[in-house]
Amino acid sequence: MWRLRRLVLRLFHVVRSGAAEADLAREVASHLALLEEEFARRGLTPDEARLAAKRALGGVEQMKERHRDERSLRWLDDAWRDLQYAVRMLRRAPGFTAVAILTLALGIGANTAIFSVVHALLLKPLPYKDSDQLVRLVVTMSAAQSPTAQPQRSGRISVAELSEIRSHSRTLSHAAFTAGPVFMTMTGRGESTRLQGMRIAPGVFDTLGERAFVGRAFGSAEEAPGAAPVIIFSYAAWQRYFGGDPAIVGQNVALANSLSPNSQLDIEGYSVVGVMPKGFEFPDAQVQFWMPASWTPSSGGALLGRLEDGVSIHAAAAELGGILRGMRKDQQQAAVELVRVLDTVIEPVKPALVVLTIAVAFVLLIACVNVANLLLARASARQREIGIRVALGAGRGRMIRQLLTESLLLALLSGVAGSAVALAGTRLMRTLATTFARIDLGVQLPFPRVEEIGIDATVLMFAVATSVITGLLCGLAPALGLSRPDRAELLKDRTHAQAGARIGGRTPVRGLLIVTETALAMMLLVGGGLLIHSFVKLATVESGYNPENVLTFQVSLADLAPGSQLKTFADDVVGRLRLLPGVESAAYARQLPLIAIRESAWFRHTPQLPDPPPRQTSAAPDARLVSQEYFEVLGIRVVAGRGFGATDTAGQPRVLVVNETLARREFPGENPLGQYVYAGRDSSPWQIVGVVADVRQFGLDQDPQPQFFADFRQWPVTDPVFFTILGPYFAVRGADVLTLVPRARDIVHGLSADAGLYNVATMDQLVSNSLSRPRMYASLLGIFAGVAVVLAGVGIYGVIAYAVTQRTREIGIRMALGAQRFEVVKLVLGQSLAWTVIGIVLGLGGAAVVTRYLEGLLYGLTPLDAPTFVAASVTFLLIALVASYVPARRATRVDPVVALRSE
Amino acid sequence: MSSEPSDRIELLQGTLDLIVLRALATMGPQHAYGLAARLEQVGDHPLTLNQGTLYPALVRLDQKGWIKGTWQKTDSNRDAKYYAITKAGTRALEKQTERWRKLAGLVNKLLLGETS
Repeated sequence: MWRLRRLVLRLFHVVRSGAAEADLAREVASHLALLEEEFARRGLTPDEARLAAKRALGGVEQMKERHRDERSLRWLDDAWRDLQYAVRMLRRAPGFTAVAILTLALGIGANTAIFSVVHALLLKPLPYKDSDQLVRLVVTMSAAQSPTAQPQRSGRISVAELSEIRSHSRTLSHAAFTAGPVFMTMTGRGESTRLQGMRIAPGVFDTLGERAFVGRAFGSAEEAPGAAPVIIFSYAAWQRYFGGDPAIVGQNVALANSLSPNSQLDIEGYSVVGVMPKGFEFPDAQVQFWMPASWTPSSGGALLGRLEDGVSIHAAAAELGGILRGMRKDQQQAAVELVRVLDTVIEPVKPALVVLTIAVAFVLLIACVNVANLLLARASARQREIGIRVALGAGRGRMIRQLLTESLLLALLSGVAGSAVALAGTRLMRTLATTFARIDLGVQLPFPRVEEIGIDATVLMFAVATSVITGLLCGLAPALGLSRPDRAELLKDRTHAQAGARIGGRTPVRGLLIVTETALAMMLLVGGGLLIHSFVKLATVESGYNPENVLTFQVSLADLAPGSQLKTFADDVVGRLRLLPGVESAAYARQLPLIAIRESAWFRHTPQLPDPPPRQTSAAPDARLVSQEYFEVLGIRVVAGRGFGATDTAGQPRVLVVNETLARREFPGENPLGQYVYAGRDSSPWQIVGVVADVRQFGLDQDPQPQFFADFRQWPVTDPVFFTILGPYFAVRGADVLTLVPRARDIVHGLSADAGLYNVATMDQLVSNSLSRPRMYASLLGIFAGVAVVLAGVGIYGVIAYAVTQRTREIGIRMALGAQRFEVVKLVLGQSLAWTVIGIVLGLGGAAVVTRYLEGLLYGLTPLDAPTFVAASVTFLLIALVASYVPARRATRVDPVVALRSE
Repeated sequence: MSSEPSDRIELLQGTLDLIVLRALATMGPQHAYGLAARLEQVGDHPLTLNQGTLYPALVRLDQKGWIKGTWQKTDSNRDAKYYAITKAGTRALEKQTERWRKLAGLVNKLLLGETS
């Protein structure tokens, strides 16, 4: 009890010592008076009595000091006083304080923001039980090992292999597989809705260690051929489409399978068995439902396994390799590996994270160098103050502590400001990283798990830790240098400039600061420059189509009719769209550019199919089924011949349009127009009537591939690829296309009461979406490079400006002796640029080493792209020139008389 | 913490505290000078103790809540801070005295045992 009481009181006296000091002084005075009285009574004279009293009491100051030690906590007391002093010092120099805090806040903020990403992606486990035990399979075969002579990489296992693994593996406690995405149209509940889901082996939920929130997860009963159709919904889908109805279990949901392999488009009733808990996502938030994969011995999917406790991933991979090789006679040489699920998520973004982490570390280093330089410059102004304090008995340790307290305070304040910067940064990153939640676009997320990026307690702890380290880093050098001044020297009434020159102004130190800052900033500038250059190249690449003023959407139909009916419906929609005011052209197609659905078909010059038919390989060109105005809507240029016309109807001669790449490949040196070719399994000829410009179909960074186009009207309806999968994409060209959305909806409703629009986007948005990843990397690194360059510029300015004030006298003498202004400018600039050039050369060297991490992020550039390196050097040199010219000019205004007199 | 020569009275941490508590318990409220005078009477060598050394002990005891200081007038009508032992102080004194006796007895035994 009394220990606590004492501690509290001592703590209290750290902060409030005034009253206790006064009380003590009064008590001591009273004590002395009483002693004097006593000595006087013993017969001493008043003077003698006073002396005797003082002797009896002992050294008053020492006693008071010990009283303070007892009364409060000494070290804390000192720290508190240092802090108060530091606050006063910072307030006295608001300009310095603002610049220093702003500089460090940028550095700390950038680091904290990137740490929040690293934290969300690398450090946090996936939201599954013991997620580090979850593994995926990777089987790789080189071309030589592979039976198809093509290098292969697959994680697929069959149902038969799964059951073998389950019964024989001692290293995997659970095994299942994911069979791939599935699209369903939910009907019979108002406007029909398209849902994205996942076909899985029912054991997936057990493997993930997750139970249903309502109802049950799939069980072994569903792992059988011909099991009744069942479905499990995500929490979000349950809330959105069923209003969170707890009685959903057992209900029947009518779903039309849009990926049905047979041409029959049937609606089936699925019995709901459960709803997964809130926050459960597998494999990501886009998946709204799960259904069992088909269960025949050869069907299967990508293995998902859980390691047995304490089993290493290598041991499991070795065992699995044995099991699989036992079953796959043609894969005896294959390399069987397991990778953690978390690694599969972060692997694609690792290089980018490495680059960004290095970048922000550089920004912080530059900020530290700047602030250390500011502190050094200020330190020289405080030489006398420090000298006096040392002369009055402050120890060296005490002075270092005092100075470090100041820089720590500075850094912590910057940490607060930096957290605000980081908050803004994470918002920006989430905006940049957010893409359309559409599987059909196949766009790689800039960052996976983007919704988890944010500022939480761990991230804030990081900001605090960074601040403390920063404070020590930039405070240490000035503190050590300053605390060791020559007392006598400093107390002499020397001019401030000369006293300062001893500590803060040694030329090699200043040069080193400039060289360091320049080198770091140059590396960032080159890196950011490469990414921006690459992004610009990508964004301005010849795509082959004109995405402006094009609206795209899909239609969900309740009763998906067989192909011909759907085609009539699509024709009706396009026909009515064309009548809308402002619409120039309208079309529908099986895919649009940037839709990641590839269909290929055989393309040959003779009617006979080779026997046996060749495997579907990349040699088969991309086959596109489009409606009449497709080329007009998308602005695809017809290079030769014509596009599809009104007369190319079902009964008329069948015509094809090929792209330039296919024309070059199939008809080298010939005119393709008028040639007859055969496509698909069909043995009737097609005549080539047109050649269109190449289109970058699957992404701006992917080279055009051979393609041919056919008109829906002429494609044989019996062909199994016709209209059996995803509904078509509609595209409309016109002015102000976004205003067409409600009218398009009306048209669709008018044709079928419960039809709805989905995947509505302008073509521009799709293009922009496809660039989100490179855009994000270029933006982030560009911002960091920009900050680094500005900070380095400010740093150079600071160093040179300080050097000029230091050399005022020297410059004055030179000018008195007849030096011209330009000679003075040359003197200052020459020194500054010499350092800058050394820094640039070092920075270029460093960049050449570091930019190889950018390799996978660059389009159309090598990491050693010479123009970027040159441009970065020139840019930085110009900035350094400006930063040192300003103080150089000021130097020329030195009045020799004033400069000499000031001595 | 202390750099005092080691033959001073308060070399044993807590000893001085015990003596002050004891003095206050037997004499009633006292000011620092009064306490010092009392200690000098008891000690063999008057004035070996700087009277100022009392103050750290007083603030320590005060913060522990064992004594309480109030400003009062002396007989000669001077202001002086009078310290009185509190209830908690009385209890602590009993405990500390007991501990001290035990310790002293033990030390005595050991010392006697060594010399014999």
